[in-house]
Amino acid sequence: MLLATREIARSKVRFGLLAGAVGLLVFLILFQQALFGGLVQGFIGAIENQDSPVLVYNEQARRNVEGSFLLPDQIEALGGVEGVEQVVRIGEATYTVEAGGELVDGVLFGYPLDAGGLGAPTSLTEGRLPEAPGEAVASSADAADGFDIGDTVRIAADGGPEIEVVGLAEDVRFSVAPTLFVDYSTFEDAQRAVNPNAQAVLPSIAAVRPTDGTDPGELTARIDDEVDGVEALTNADAVDSAPGVAAVNQSFQIILALAFGVVTLVVAFFFLILTVQKAKPLTLLRAVGAPSGYLIRNLVVQILFVMGAGIAIGIGMVFAVRPISTGGAIELDLEPSTVIPTIIGLTVLALVGSIGAIRRVLRIDPIRATVDTGSELA
Amino acid sequence: MPSPALQLTDVRKTYRSGDEEVVALDHATLEVGRDELVALVGPSGSGKTTLLSVAGALLGPTEGDVRVGDTEIGDLSEKERTAFRGKEIGFVFQAVNLVPFLTARENLLVVAEMNGNLDKGAKHRADQLLDELGLGHRTGNQPGELSGGERQRVAIGRALMNEPSLVLFDEPTSALDTELGEQVMELIGREMRSRGVGGIFVTHDTRMTHHADRTLEIIDGRLKA
Ligand SMILES: Nc1ncnc2c1ncn2[C@@H]1O[C@H](COP(=O)(O)OP(=O)(O)O)[C@@H](O)[C@H]1O
Ligand SMILES: [Mg+2]
Repeated sequence: MLLATREIARSKVRFGLLAGAVGLLVFLILFQQALFGGLVQGFIGAIENQDSPVLVYNEQARRNVEGSFLLPDQIEALGGVEGVEQVVRIGEATYTVEAGGELVDGVLFGYPLDAGGLGAPTSLTEGRLPEAPGEAVASSADAADGFDIGDTVRIAADGGPEIEVVGLAEDVRFSVAPTLFVDYSTFEDAQRAVNPNAQAVLPSIAAVRPTDGTDPGELTARIDDEVDGVEALTNADAVDSAPGVAAVNQSFQIILALAFGVVTLVVAFFFLILTVQKAKPLTLLRAVGAPSGYLIRNLVVQILFVMGAGIAIGIGMVFAVRPISTGGAIELDLEPSTVIPTIIGLTVLALVGSIGAIRRVLRIDPIRATVDTGSELA
Repeated sequence: MPSPALQLTDVRKTYRSGDEEVVALDHATLEVGRDELVALVGPSGSGKTTLLSVAGALLGPTEGDVRVGDTEIGDLSEKERTAFRGKEIGFVFQAVNLVPFLTARENLLVVAEMNGNLDKGAKHRADQLLDELGLGHRTGNQPGELSGGERQRVAIGRALMNEPSLVLFDEPTSALDTELGEQVMELIGREMRSRGVGGIFVTHDTRMTHHADRTLEIIDGRLKA
């Protein structure tokens, strides 16, 4: 691969700039993906990291926990659906709470403590789960703001319950607010305190555990069929189709697609221009017997080099920036499950984008070497 | 008797130029021996480059037979002609002869690489050729750092790198002054004779023909003895 490697070695600035540009774009893409991941966690982490294989919403709520309530009849009916092992009520609401001496928004998730963990947070990092009314696991991102273990959080209303944080869980925020997992009765106390005239406190949604061997996806269909006025979703579907998330997702997909497109175009134009500029030496080589395949292999090696260097630069930048982001609202993390498809996708797109340059090489007519005059140099 | 390096029999080459047909080569018959160096002279547009292109498997003849060594190359496919040029033909073109971003040595090595035999032997051969051509101290220089005469010598080395059975030079000294041109022709004559390989050089300068074993004249696509 003399042609490929020597040309890079002798045009370091040119190839360096391209690799740098690709690197910036790769960084941008990885950063956006991390940002998106962080935003999703902030919006809906409490659902994602809660033990709830299947979630049941009020049909009218359009998959929005805040707008959902279930009637006792519906909860009862859920228990009768074939394939349902267990059903628990989940109460969710946003309150003004007093934490760390300040009034802030806080979200409660109430679940019954005696239901074997159904509805409990699954990403406990410190402390323990609540074992009695008035205890809570808080979102770890808010520990420093009055939600640390040992802190007391009060629902800011007459007779609002006091809640003691006994554990911290990762990525369990909801609507980008501090979130507390408490006993269902604590949720009921909070609701009555802020809304003393309400006749009854209704649960927002229900968490359902399927029996062994029951597919959650099939179970949701059966629940939708058999129970009036509800919509059942698997946990993953509930996360993906939550109102905020779905909208954010769409915007991010568009931005990401643009970034992927820009990488493809930048690489495609660079190599097309390079190939056009090299037309004379390439024609010479074809004339003295170089097969097109030899020239194309060298081109592909250069593209792979540029993409490899650009990806390394982009990942390097993520590592460089990560310490700054740590502890902030959104943490920059490299998940292999997103980074690897991104790398493969970008490389494939770059190769596809180089078709223009490859076609140029294939169209070279070696006879031109006998007539091309011009640059005395070569 | 071994077959000659090149044998053209009744070769005709026409170009299509719009509606017109230009006859660039007309019933050319020619033999170049295995260790013969032939000079080809003629006015501009007389068909010299066309003859070299047909002889060097860059162009197929419109009519007639073209044999290089034992191979009839007139009917080869495009792909086969490419491979044939790589293995059996050495070219020095009028204008572009070197890859600007490769050093003198790499310009020779790339020939071995594209033929799939860039090994120790090839590297040794490149160094030896450059030595013979008086470029032992310039092997690491790119064409832009070499003089016109040095570049032409690198081109000669490149043409000989694949151990061709036929070498074709199209006005190899046209870009050089008389003295340098004389030196380069001297070198071509020496290299060709020491290898015993057949070749043709095109020149418009009749003072150069004494470097050849034989001189052919071409006018309007027709060869004259
Ligand atoms: N690709 C081509 N298309 C049309 N006519 C051509 C082409 N190449 C050469 N010719 C014509 O063929 C004739 C011989 O050209 P050439 O072999 O280049 O002559 P020389 O090398 O002796 O100057 C000229 O009349 C030239 O115009
Ligand atoms: Mg000519």
